[in-house]
Amino acid sequence: MRSGIFAGLLLATVSAATALAQGAPIKLADVAELSGGGATVGNNWKNGIDLAIEEINAKGGVLGRKLEVTHADSQSNPGVARAQVQKALDNEPYVLLGPGYSGSVKVTSPLAAEAGITQIMGGEAAELTQGGNKFLFRTSFGQQSSMPKVAKYINDELKAKSVAIVWVNNDFGKGGRDVISKEFAKYNIKVAADLSTEAGQADFAADVSKIKAAAPDAAFIYLNEEESARILKELKRQAVAVPLVGETTLVGQKVVELAGDAANGARGHVGLTTDAPVDLVKAFREKFVKKYNYVPDHNGLKGYLAIYMVKATTEKMGKVDAKKFADTLHGLTIKAASEPGILMDVTFDEKGDIDRQGFLVEIVEGKQVVKQVLPKLN
Amino acid sequence: MTAIGKYWRIALGVAVIAALIIVPMNFNRYGLYILSQWAVMTIAAMGLNLTLGYAGQVSLAQGAFVGIGAYAAAIMTTQGMPLIVALGVAIVLCFAIGWILGYPALRVQHHYLAFVTLAFSTLAFLVFRNEDWLTKGIYGISNIPRPNVLGFATNRPLPFYYFCLGSLGIVSLVMWWLIRSPWGRAFVALRENPVRALSLGIDTRRYTLMAFAIGSALGGVAGTLYAPLTQYIDPVPFNLSLSLDLLMMVIVGGSGFFFGPFLGAMIAVLLPEWLRFTQGYYLMLYAVAVMLLLIYSPTGILGILDRYLTERRTKAASALRAVAKSRLETAP
Repeated sequence: MRSGIFAGLLLATVSAATALAQGAPIKLADVAELSGGGATVGNNWKNGIDLAIEEINAKGGVLGRKLEVTHADSQSNPGVARAQVQKALDNEPYVLLGPGYSGSVKVTSPLAAEAGITQIMGGEAAELTQGGNKFLFRTSFGQQSSMPKVAKYINDELKAKSVAIVWVNNDFGKGGRDVISKEFAKYNIKVAADLSTEAGQADFAADVSKIKAAAPDAAFIYLNEEESARILKELKRQAVAVPLVGETTLVGQKVVELAGDAANGARGHVGLTTDAPVDLVKAFREKFVKKYNYVPDHNGLKGYLAIYMVKATTEKMGKVDAKKFADTLHGLTIKAASEPGILMDVTFDEKGDIDRQGFLVEIVEGKQVVKQVLPKLN
Repeated sequence: MTAIGKYWRIALGVAVIAALIIVPMNFNRYGLYILSQWAVMTIAAMGLNLTLGYAGQVSLAQGAFVGIGAYAAAIMTTQGMPLIVALGVAIVLCFAIGWILGYPALRVQHHYLAFVTLAFSTLAFLVFRNEDWLTKGIYGISNIPRPNVLGFATNRPLPFYYFCLGSLGIVSLVMWWLIRSPWGRAFVALRENPVRALSLGIDTRRYTLMAFAIGSALGGVAGTLYAPLTQYIDPVPFNLSLSLDLLMMVIVGGSGFFFGPFLGAMIAVLLPEWLRFTQGYYLMLYAVAVMLLLIYSPTGILGILDRYLTERRTKAASALRAVAKSRLETAP
């Protein structure tokens, strides 16, 4: 048995040495919320990554080298995330992937920057890319780019003068609420009710009656999918007729499935969703469902895109160079025509923020209908 | 205890301390971070061990006190104050709050007390999260500086580990003295038989509050180290699960044993890391291991050792008795 292990090790060493000659695997490290409060986020992200890597390796890898990823669980705890990122960086990965929680990104991004390793993460809090970190990249719109679009829509199209905001009290919900409140102030839109709710909250009767009492011109709802469905049902039950606007989550397919009729009429801005009316996204969704047997949320897409960002950037450089990676990705435009895995044309700016097409959709008879396509800015 | 046994114990202690100082010198940053975390959690668990293990008061609020200490350190050091000042504030604050939290312990015991402290734990979490003006709410406080100790910067992982280890050393010495002092004996009397303790003239009321206050203050000390360790804090790590974790550390290590928290924290911090090679199963295996341990020895790891030593002593004593008896019988 032991000699077998030794032989195996020897074989592994020899094959690793030969592999190095013709291109050893490119090592990526992922640290994500695989357990704890963010388990849905982290596991979607992880599955997206695995799917993309499987696809790329099946087609011969990147510049002839296979991709290899290690996944580490942050337990949704910033302290643990820091330990795991430290461990990942000690092994000198090509690129660091994750985490998804903004707090965990904040605690780990200085470490990656110090090591000179590019970090492609899932956090959406506005401030993450404002600190001048040259190694940090988003995979989705930050709230500072999505919320202004929602506020503009509420002002220009709905002509609302007062709005109720319902948000989930975690870094995702609070971040969105803070950004959109500022935007509303710019348009002189009054916040008639500012309702904080808990993640996993089951009963929204009290919140909805507060909305009703405030009688706003529109309600902005920024909750996770399950909670979005619950509040939509309660709004219908209490016959609140104001226009309901959200961002990504409110008009997701899962919400429509859970809320049924109650979802009709809900509208929202959607940056990245598996429901996007884009053929490549639909194809992605099918592949994902086939492999994992469930419909991914936008975190699945983010993980998938992160890997194709690695691929496109590396191919642009023409070599595997961890030091030049961040420089190359800054200002890079990746076109879906030449790299289908990126799904939609995308540009990364100097801060690591993302520029991509967005959609304004409305739920009509249980289906997402695109009302307006918001083009890329440049 | 024979003289030889005593020397052995001292030699073992010196060897362990030397190993804790020398071995990590060539650890990578990850290893040092985990070991620092172990030192910090040990301090918090020692506090709880005093409250629970020695004085017998169940507390589910230790995580909240770690949080109070961490926020004190984070808020003050990001404003440019030295960590030692924050440490003082944290100790005083946690001591005072711990003292107040001790009052319910005068009226309720066991799981009722656990519920009272659980409520406090939730309350502390809500304050950390909702009082934006002070704690920056759910966004947390970032860029927490690491301190300069006696002119040495502890920014690098190794010096910071020594800082944590040194703090653990100081806390251990204080604790060692405390439980051997009349106070420590009063705490044990409180746990074993409060009525008898009272009739012996021990002011059980004061000692109950004291056990809570000192235990909580140690939670605060751990918190002031936790903040510069992670250099970023938000409310989430200080929710109920940390209190439960600390409770588990005390019980798994051996509640009421001086070295219990050291071993308990080792299990809670290091075991999941060692099990990580099993990927998605590591938390499950960890849970199973802890359950098996507690089925095998409800008194924790040190309980096993204690049982073994007692057994050996009993055997030795019975052997002596047997010899003495046979001598008596054969005597003319």
